[in-house]
Amino acid sequence: MSAQRLTTALMGALPILVVLAIWQMLCSFGTAPPSLLPPPGKVFLRLAQQLGNVGFLDDILATMIRLFAGFSIAVVLGVGIGLAAAVVPAINAVVRPLVQVLAPLPKVALYPALIILFGFDHASKVTLVTLDALFPILLSTYYGASMVEQKLVWSALAAGTPRWQILFKVIAPAALPSILTGCRIGLVISCIVVFLAEMISSTDGLGHLLVGAARTFQTVDMFVPLIAISLLGLALNGLLYGLRKYLLRGFPEV
Amino acid sequence: MTFARRIISKLSPFLACLGLLAVWQLAALWLDTESFPTAWHALRTVPQVLGDPEQLLNILDSIRRMAIGFSLAVAISIPLGLAMGRSARVAAFFNPLLMMIYPVPKAALMPIIMLWLGVGDASKTLVIFLGVSLPVIYHAFQGARAVEEKMLWSGAAMGLNGLQRMVRIVLPAALPEILTGCRTGLVLALITMVTSEMIARQSGAGNILFNAMDMAQYDTVFAMIIIIGALGIVLDAAFDKLRWRLVKWAEPHQEILLGAS
Repeated sequence: MSAQRLTTALMGALPILVVLAIWQMLCSFGTAPPSLLPPPGKVFLRLAQQLGNVGFLDDILATMIRLFAGFSIAVVLGVGIGLAAAVVPAINAVVRPLVQVLAPLPKVALYPALIILFGFDHASKVTLVTLDALFPILLSTYYGASMVEQKLVWSALAAGTPRWQILFKVIAPAALPSILTGCRIGLVISCIVVFLAEMISSTDGLGHLLVGAARTFQTVDMFVPLIAISLLGLALNGLLYGLRKYLLRGFPEV
Repeated sequence: MTFARRIISKLSPFLACLGLLAVWQLAALWLDTESFPTAWHALRTVPQVLGDPEQLLNILDSIRRMAIGFSLAVAISIPLGLAMGRSARVAAFFNPLLMMIYPVPKAALMPIIMLWLGVGDASKTLVIFLGVSLPVIYHAFQGARAVEEKMLWSGAAMGLNGLQRMVRIVLPAALPEILTGCRTGLVLALITMVTSEMIARQSGAGNILFNAMDMAQYDTVFAMIIIIGALGIVLDAAFDKLRWRLVKWAEPHQEILLGAS
């Protein structure tokens, strides 16, 4: 079993190594001039250097604050509205058409309006992240909660659970796998959107670093924030995976 | 009764649109600043923007790039995703790499890709391609993985070879899931299109939007938001119709819409 796992891990590491090798080869054979494609060693060295740099850490912190604020608001709103819509038909009648219209809307296009309304600071970026992460979470909560087996609800009622507790004792736990899947998608989206919002207009954050480096043609510094956001996304994804494993212990593997 | 209900459910998206516009109108009247025009005002600017041949050509250019990027991405991602779903080895090979790339904002690669390919069509189409391919691969992968083994065994027993089984059993069985991925990809394509043009600032709908923003032509900003939003909603609705025709036989599947990159 463990040998098989090791092979799987090695197989997975292979393409990443191949990409790095091609990158290195392009640089060392001079196919790509270093001004356009810096060698990977240099990029990772700069990343390591920057991690010791207070200014860089401040930028990462700014990005993370926006990301967490937007994502948390989206989770609270998404799960709340999703559960409410699944349980109360009247709310469903209002929420459903609104979601139908708003979900396919490209939210980035709203960003200029958000800047005008909320200014250049945190608020407009947090709102954009919330808007973008909200719908996947809301939709998966709604589907998860409306697929709960009616028998479970009946059994709980028969066992004497008060009607108002059904939502928290039966429906929410049963919808949990689906909710967490939605959160995972929402998290990836939050990473992407926070970076884009910072690229469009910002004075700090990882996205701003990329734009600044691009304006001065510092190619090495252009790669550093990209790798940083990718690693950040991976780390957060890992955390969410751990949380999912913890919360869903006892559930059949989904 | 059921007839009236059907009409209401058909009309409800339009009612939602009207409601949102009404909220906008009231908010604008209440705030009463020059930088936030009323919904009515923005709607009246839409024909002006679309009537300008230069801007119309710009928007059509954007749509063309999006269509090319989207089609290429779908054509390449579906076979890859299906292969990943049916072979544990292929999945183990590509999965970690894709996991690494997924959280990278594709439009953020724009400045780097611009250095290599210039500001023209090639780099924007490439970015759209990258943005669309990941969700399509992921959903095709999930769909192909869930195909019932028994059907494949029956197919093999009836003498279908590997490729035939892939095309005649796995592809149709995974189609509902693949189309969900494509729908997500469509929204992503639109978003990537806007963002890439916003960064390259050379042509296209995103360029008009953010240039107007920089020049404080707020009417045009909000008119462009309406145009791009309407484009998203119309494309999504059209795709849903298509999906409905193709996979009528499957139950309406969970439809998680992504909206990013």
